[in-house]
Amino acid sequence: MSSENHHLPNRIKLIWGISAVGSFIALLVITGLIWLTYRYWDWPLWLVSAFAAFTILEPIIEAALIPYRYRFTRYQISAVAVEMQAGFIFKKRVAIPIARVQNVTLNAGPLLQWQKLTKVSIATASTNHGIEGLELDEAEALRDQIMRLAREARHDQA
Amino acid sequence: MTKPKRTHPLGLLLHIAKSIRDYWYLLILALTLYRDPFWFALCWAVIVFAILIWPCIRWATLSYRVTPEAIEVNSGVVVRHHEHIPYGRIQTVQRKQWFFLAPFKLEELYIETASHDDNKPEARLAAVSTSLAGEIERYRQGVPAATTPAATADDVLGDTDPEAETAEFSVTAHYRIDSHTLLKFAVTSTGFIPLLLILLAIYNKIPRNWTDTLIDDATHLALIVLVGGGLVIVLIAWIGAFLWTYMRYYHFDVTLQGHQLETAKGLFQRNTITAPLKRIQAVRVKQNIFRQWLHIQTVQVLLASKAASKDDDDDLVILPAVPQSQLYDVAPPFVSWLPHHTPDLSDLNVADRRKWYLVRNALLVAIVPVALASFLLPHWMWAFALILVIAYFQGLFAARQTGGGLVTPTLLALQTGHVWTKETYYVPVETIQSVRLRQSIWMKKTGLMHLIVNVRHGNKNQAIELRYLKADQAQRVYDWYLHTV
Repeated sequence: MSSENHHLPNRIKLIWGISAVGSFIALLVITGLIWLTYRYWDWPLWLVSAFAAFTILEPIIEAALIPYRYRFTRYQISAVAVEMQAGFIFKKRVAIPIARVQNVTLNAGPLLQWQKLTKVSIATASTNHGIEGLELDEAEALRDQIMRLAREARHDQA
Repeated sequence: MTKPKRTHPLGLLLHIAKSIRDYWYLLILALTLYRDPFWFALCWAVIVFAILIWPCIRWATLSYRVTPEAIEVNSGVVVRHHEHIPYGRIQTVQRKQWFFLAPFKLEELYIETASHDDNKPEARLAAVSTSLAGEIERYRQGVPAATTPAATADDVLGDTDPEAETAEFSVTAHYRIDSHTLLKFAVTSTGFIPLLLILLAIYNKIPRNWTDTLIDDATHLALIVLVGGGLVIVLIAWIGAFLWTYMRYYHFDVTLQGHQLETAKGLFQRNTITAPLKRIQAVRVKQNIFRQWLHIQTVQVLLASKAASKDDDDDLVILPAVPQSQLYDVAPPFVSWLPHHTPDLSDLNVADRRKWYLVRNALLVAIVPVALASFLLPHWMWAFALILVIAYFQGLFAARQTGGGLVTPTLLALQTGHVWTKETYYVPVETIQSVRLRQSIWMKKTGLMHLIVNVRHGNKNQAIELRYLKADQAQRVYDWYLHTV
């Protein structure tokens, strides 16, 4: 694997889009329930309107931020370390040496499985770091590489 | 095989004491129920069961056995637990000896391993012979760790060669606090602040008519009484904190034996903790503002286990108070990679204009609660304004204390100034778990960056954050980290 900056796979945008729709549906259900409390238990109306407004705004903002989120999320894997970078307004960059990695977990929900993507979470002895979506084979290669290097690093120590 | 042994009957006292500590509120409940005979009787029945009968059953069902391979502890009344602790897995052994146990050569023993589950020690043996800890120690150091082939997540943290564990049993370094330094240490304890808050809360609960009659009698003295009362409360809290600290750290001893650090302290209860050197993740030198004036510092080690959980801030204190000038002579014999002279920490700093960011943030944090409080209690406005002044100086303090740099090519020093306490961390590169940089879009323009270094601490993460460094300073540490590991 090269050590240049990688973007996440393009299809992750689709997943994020669908999950924005998903949160719209979930919020719609909650708003419906609150409307029922207004209808039968006389809860105040402003609560319903506030939730309705939030239900409309939140998915729109979530969807609007997808290009931004995609553009500024990057990862980089070299022989010694994994680096991740996210955000532009609040930019974060983290370095995790492979020798410190305790375990790598691949994790995919139904949507990610359908797109043959997977989440990768990398745990050190004290922190957890995640890549939101990688191609399945790339993720497996990454996991094997990390585990191999981690094993070697451990041998050096002993 | 020897048969499992019970702990000494005196341990019952400790079990009962613990039950009283856990269920003291039942006694208060009983007092409030005195009008109702039935509930009163029931409550007392529960109390007798909880603080007398239950501890007896617990004591009777607890047994232990020491074999050459492991310690076995059987416990549990309804559900039986059978704990099997191989010596190689033991992280820390903590011994507590109350003064009344000393004549009987007994002590309380806590054994902790690296397991991640709940915050209780693996085994707690109330009142066992003092020779037991020595026996366990001999097995731990003498017998090679043949029982630990199963490498868990924790083992890779710092477990090196098992041969090293067979090393000599002799004391290679020793330090005892002198009474003068201990006095300074106890006087400057910040423990009086929580105590002060409790006392103030009680003061508020004093029936109004008492204070009113007092003030009616002496209206002309009202202000003096008020200020005097306040001073007396501060004094009581401060003396209380002084005595507490003094007793707890009385005759503090630290020794290095082979690869084990051992600390012992306390007057009425002698508390001895043994921890392996290789578990040390970082060393923290701590100094609150009062101690800065008296030039004494505290040295703690951050361990990769929940050792000494009842210690200050969950960390094992190895040197409670060392005169500032002697620190780098006294500490390195215990932790060999510490620098031998005061390091230069000016490489990372928050100087010139940048310190105003820290002042601004401290004020921003304080201003909302202060505004709210002054709105609700307009009479106390002046007191709340004082908080803003304190926040302002806290910001300046934080800026002045921030520092850091490489002490050696593999040892990073980081210094922060949170809550009027200067903390200097010494972190070897091999225990840094990850390094993070943060920069907002506005900081990009001004060329600033936050640096966060993650170290394992207990079972959790300790993020050491230096805020508002110059971007190139922070980037330098980041690059150093990537290239050194």
